[in-house]
Amino acid sequence: MNRLLRLLNSQRITTNLIIGLAILTIVVLVSLLGPLFVDMDLAKVGEVPPSKPPSAEYLLGTDSQGRDMLAVLISAIPQTLKMGLIAGIVGVSIGLLLGLLSGFFGGPLDTVIRVFADSLMTVPGIAILLVIASNIESMTVEVMGLTVAALAWMYPTRTIRSQVLSIRERPYMAVARANGESELEVLFREVMPNLVPYVAASLVASINGAILATVGLESLGLGAQNVHTLGTTIYWARRYSAVLRGQWWWWAPPIIVVSLIFIGLFLVSMGLDRFANPALSGQGSALARRRKRDARKDAALSDAAGVTGAVAGSQAEPALLRVENLRVVFETNAGSGLAVDNVSFTMQPGERMGLVGESGCGKTTMATAIMSLVRPPGRIAGGRVMLGETDLLTLSDEKLRKMRLKEIALVPQAAMNSLNPVMRIGEQLADAIRVHEDTLSQKELDTLIAESLVNVGLLAEVANRYPHQLSGGMKQRVTIAIATVLGPQLIIADEPTSALDVVVQQRVMLTLGRVQKELGAAMVLIGHDMGLIAQFSDTIGVLYAGKMVERGDIDTVLNEPCHPYTRLLIDSLPKLESESEFIGIPGLPPALFNRPDGCSFHPRCPFAFARCQTEIPEPQLFRGRQVACHLYPEQGQLPPIPVSSVVVAGDGALPTGIVEAKS
Amino acid sequence: MSITYVLQRIAQLILIVFIAITINFILPRMIPGDPVESALTTKIAISGNVSVDVQKVAAAYREKFGLDKPLWQQYLNYLNDVFHFEFGVSLVKFPETVMSQIQSALPWTIGLMLVSTITAFFVGSILGALFVWPSTPKLFHVLVSPFMLLSTIPFFLLGIILLSIFATELRIFPPGGGFSPTLIRGLNMETALDILHHSILPALSIILGGMGAWALGMRAMMITVLGEDYVAFAEAKGLHPRRVFLWYGMRNALLPQVTQLALSLGSVLGGTVLVEAIFSYPGIGTLLFAAIATKDYFVIQGIVLILIFALAGALFIIDMVYPLLDPRIRYSS
Repeated sequence: MNRLLRLLNSQRITTNLIIGLAILTIVVLVSLLGPLFVDMDLAKVGEVPPSKPPSAEYLLGTDSQGRDMLAVLISAIPQTLKMGLIAGIVGVSIGLLLGLLSGFFGGPLDTVIRVFADSLMTVPGIAILLVIASNIESMTVEVMGLTVAALAWMYPTRTIRSQVLSIRERPYMAVARANGESELEVLFREVMPNLVPYVAASLVASINGAILATVGLESLGLGAQNVHTLGTTIYWARRYSAVLRGQWWWWAPPIIVVSLIFIGLFLVSMGLDRFANPALSGQGSALARRRKRDARKDAALSDAAGVTGAVAGSQAEPALLRVENLRVVFETNAGSGLAVDNVSFTMQPGERMGLVGESGCGKTTMATAIMSLVRPPGRIAGGRVMLGETDLLTLSDEKLRKMRLKEIALVPQAAMNSLNPVMRIGEQLADAIRVHEDTLSQKELDTLIAESLVNVGLLAEVANRYPHQLSGGMKQRVTIAIATVLGPQLIIADEPTSALDVVVQQRVMLTLGRVQKELGAAMVLIGHDMGLIAQFSDTIGVLYAGKMVERGDIDTVLNEPCHPYTRLLIDSLPKLESESEFIGIPGLPPALFNRPDGCSFHPRCPFAFARCQTEIPEPQLFRGRQVACHLYPEQGQLPPIPVSSVVVAGDGALPTGIVEAKS
Repeated sequence: MSITYVLQRIAQLILIVFIAITINFILPRMIPGDPVESALTTKIAISGNVSVDVQKVAAAYREKFGLDKPLWQQYLNYLNDVFHFEFGVSLVKFPETVMSQIQSALPWTIGLMLVSTITAFFVGSILGALFVWPSTPKLFHVLVSPFMLLSTIPFFLLGIILLSIFATELRIFPPGGGFSPTLIRGLNMETALDILHHSILPALSIILGGMGAWALGMRAMMITVLGEDYVAFAEAKGLHPRRVFLWYGMRNALLPQVTQLALSLGSVLGGTVLVEAIFSYPGIGTLLFAAIATKDYFVIQGIVLILIFALAGALFIIDMVYPLLDPRIRYSS
């Protein structure tokens, strides 16, 4: 019962599924309850006027034999459904058995099953079905269902086999085996439950296919002719030229009922897809577009209201980037929350700014917001992003697009997957260049591509390779080459090395740093590796729960952090020089949709006092940096962290400040 | 493309065709009743000649066609015939060979079915992709959604509906056949237009009935692909949305669709056979249907074999072309 409730709440039960099931239920109910209301005696030939259009007496009219079409229809539905169910259940049972044997145990058995199934799929099933159906004298719906199942079991087998193969590769399988589960236990506890949505989808598809094939055959006059099915009803209508004589009441109702069954099955299978592929939910609409327009509106509104943030740093030097009161909202059915919460900061030309914080603190969201690339369900809800004199958030799509790469470039987080797998590296560089510089000749373009690749330490030939032919480090270099090829003013590097091993990390970072310096571009370096950030940044910004809690010069902040969160982040770094304990920050960052009142950090803060629980701290200038904490200016500096409030790795708990579940 | 891969794939093709051919030999022989006798009975019943000894003639026929030999010998003869594309003669239209019947029907089927199936594939895929593209106008969803629902109605039933609307009520299109009976066929404009006129309704029912499935598959794939990092990075590069859509989105989402096309060719073929029968279109489907109605055993077997060859060939071609579409597919064993 609880599970059912949870399922109903999980948004995976969609309107599609409900409407689909409702349609099918109605069809079944009509066939079951119909005989209670309609005279089902079809043999009253002569008493009923033939070929009459629908009237009050005969709701669906009569056929040329003088049979009440409504009664014909009601007696036909259960036969067709029965056939579909038999074919579907038998076919999927065979498919489940063979698919499991084939996928789970593999080996020669797999080969035999696969080759046999593949060969049978090459035989046109419907043609064979035609032959069989026309040769069996006393065809019944049961025999028809079994025949269809015998000709169609390969399809569910194939689906289930490939799903078993993919489930077998998942990490929890290895864990289950390592935990000493036997193969059979693994099969029943790990594999089978995960197969349920696919088996259900296969069943719907098989029933669909079986009804499709048999109604097709029967409407041609083959198959179970002595039984009233929807297909044979269509056949008799065609046989007596109802279509050409315009006797629509004869042929249309069975077609409508068949169509309803198909629409019902179709909607159910769409609904089931959500279970098999959760990516299908919440996406796939014009939402993105609409939300973006909303963002523009919101941004304009907040400007009109004259909201200006407390912007740290002197205004003497013209800033390259000025972010003011930037807000990014995530809205889902589960709730809404600010992933970036009134963040303001400035960057000077050539500045390298490190952006740190635990996972889920809004680092990547902020990076995408600066480029106006926030995807639904997120949207920019206000603020300004000034690059020089231009507010990026008020630009038209077209102008914004032209700014990307040329003025602001992104070095993406997931280099492994950031290159189009079906395009050569050279083409991916070329299309980026060409869209911004359309006057280049092919030769100049080729030279530029070769230069940019060499510049990041790759061979020029890499241009002719496909992404899958490159290592992770090489792919990351390619993304750096793309990001820097047009000499942008600002580079946003979103954890550019998180997927690489330590040695490669260092080399790629050195390359990125060198290229950035040569261009004189500013760079936002996002990461959770404090060591790397310390090494490669001039300034640092610390994000917590969507807020910039501390921002200043890298040495100032690292040597003498003011915000307790910054202090704990630094302390959680393992130290090489001393054998101190490995410590972390207790607890986790708050969930996006459930932020605490007051300072978001107060539940984890060793110094929290009454004011922290009610009042949100504003950023203030203190000891050469910007910090948002109620400790100041009353306190002269951050007091030492009491030992009792940190987690020591030795006592079993994970130091959450370091160990992150990276997706 | 390495030669070993091609050779392996050819060996696999031969094996699969061989098994399929064998199934085609076994299946009809498992059916109760004697095909020759029943064919003769039908023929005699039509001609009204009752003085013929069916048993005797049937025995003569069986001897002639080798059906009196032991099974293994029949099988070897059958393989030999298949190898030489010898499918025997029609039992009903006696002197005519199965091959000549197939040859006259095949161009109609290829012309109609190939064109409309490929059209359905591409139109459906593009519509499905546009469905999830964020900058698709809302009007598109309103206009296209009913078509998607229409597609759940099977092709042949759609054919009946189209027939009643456009041939019976409106009389815009002919109710069936591949060309007008009064037409003197030649290589001229008139013939071409007449054939086109006759092919529109069957083509439309295949396209309308088929495109929905492709649109759905594409829609699901496109949702996955649009969530990929390379699409996000392409946007960050400032590429034109059209280029992101076509070359980063569709280009990648189409790959599983092609595999799906290969897998579903069999059912596509089956469905189109039914459409031909509904429209009495003079192709393979109608021929098969007529052969089944008259129990013309060798014609049925010949057509099924041709369908097997066509299907296996198409699968082979798709397998050969696929690595060109997806560079990640390696050619090693």
